[in-house]
Amino acid sequence: MKYILTLICTVFVSVWFQNESFAKNVTEIDYVYDPGVLKPIDSQLKVFVGQPAPGFSLQSIGGERISLAQFQGKQNVVLSFVPAAWTPVCSDQWPGYNIAHKIFEQYHAVLLGISVDNIPTLHAWITRMGTVWFDVLSDFWPHGDVASMYGVLRSDGMADRSLIFIDKKGVVQDIIVTDINVRPDLEDLVGALKKMNGI
Amino acid sequence: MKRGLLFFVVGLLLGGVQTSFSAEAHDGTVMPELFLVTPESEQHRDYLGLSTSPGDKFKVSDIKADILIIELFSMYCPFCQKEAPLVNELYEVMSQSETKGVTVKIIGLGASNSQFEVEHFGETYGVDFPLFPDKDMSMYKALGGTGTPGFVGYRLKDTKQPVNVLRNSGGFYNAHDFLKDVIDNSGL
Repeated sequence: MKYILTLICTVFVSVWFQNESFAKNVTEIDYVYDPGVLKPIDSQLKVFVGQPAPGFSLQSIGGERISLAQFQGKQNVVLSFVPAAWTPVCSDQWPGYNIAHKIFEQYHAVLLGISVDNIPTLHAWITRMGTVWFDVLSDFWPHGDVASMYGVLRSDGMADRSLIFIDKKGVVQDIIVTDINVRPDLEDLVGALKKMNGI
Repeated sequence: MKRGLLFFVVGLLLGGVQTSFSAEAHDGTVMPELFLVTPESEQHRDYLGLSTSPGDKFKVSDIKADILIIELFSMYCPFCQKEAPLVNELYEVMSQSETKGVTVKIIGLGASNSQFEVEHFGETYGVDFPLFPDKDMSMYKALGGTGTPGFVGYRLKDTKQPVNVLRNSGGFYNAHDFLKDVIDNSGL
C-alpha cells in the first residue's frame, strides 16, 4: 500500500512539475481580466500640440520618483497611458514596446509607462510580463491626477489608451488617443517620433 | 528502499510519457483557402516557390513544400518573443537537409499585426523565413488559432486538399523532435 501511494504521489508530482515547465505553452493569457468592449474614448484632452506639457512627479515601480522636468533639455519623452493592469490589450502593448528600445534610442526618446494602478499591482503585473526597459509609473493617488491633467482620465477611473509626445523643450509635439479596445500600431508611434525629430 | 526508488523512477517515466503527448495534436481538417501577398524579398519568393509578382496575391496552398508549418505569433506577445530563437532554429533544421526526404517549410502569420510590426519582429529576432501580417486576424481565426505562439501544419504533398498534420497551442522544446513529430504525423 505504501509503495502504491508512493507511485501515485510521484506520478502526480511529476506530471504537475512537468506541466509547470510547460508554462511557455500557456498562451491563453488566463490571468488577465477581460472587461469586454468598452466605450472607445471617454475623456476630453486638456493638452494640445504646441503647448507646454504639464509637469508631474510619480513613483515608479523601481522605487524612485520620476518627474517630467528631469528630462527637459536632455531627451524627448513619450508618455504611454494604459487603462489598467491585468487587462488584455494593455498586457501586450508594453511587451511590444519592450522590443522597440532601439527605436526610442534612435529618436532620442525615453518612454514612461503610466497607469492608475497602485505600485504593488503594477509590480506584480510587470513581473508577470518579464521585465521592461522603461520606467513604469503609478498614477494611483491622488487617483489619476496626471491622467486628469492631460485630459485622458475616463469617467470609470481608468486612463484612455494614449501616447503623448513631448520634445526636449517640454512642449507637446503629438498626441495619439486610440480606441481603448485596440492596441495602437507601432508604425504610428514611430511616425510621431520621426516627426518630433524633424524627419 | 530499492523498491521505493524503483517506484519513484517508474512514476517519473509515467509522468514524462503523459506530458510528452500533451504537446502536439493534429486533426486532419482541410486547410481553409487563404491568400497572402507575394513578398518583396526575392529570397522569400524563391523559398516559397512562388511565380507571382511582388504585391500580387497567392494561394497559401500553392507554396512548394511537402508540409507547410504556419507559426501564429504576435510582435507584442512576450511568449512569442521568447520562442523566436527556437523557431529560428527550427527553420535552420528544416533548411539544412530534407528530413526523411520530406520538404518542410515555415511561414509566420502576425495575428493583429501590421506589415511594419511583423517586419520589426523579424528584424529584432533575425527571422529569415517569411512573415506576413494578419491585421484583422481573419486568417488566424480561419486556422483555428487559440493563442500565440501557436503552430498549425498542413500536408500539401499527394493530397487532393491540404490536410492538417499539426495543431500546437504554445511553444515547443526541441526543434529536431518537433520536426520529426510533424513529419511522422503527416504519414509521409
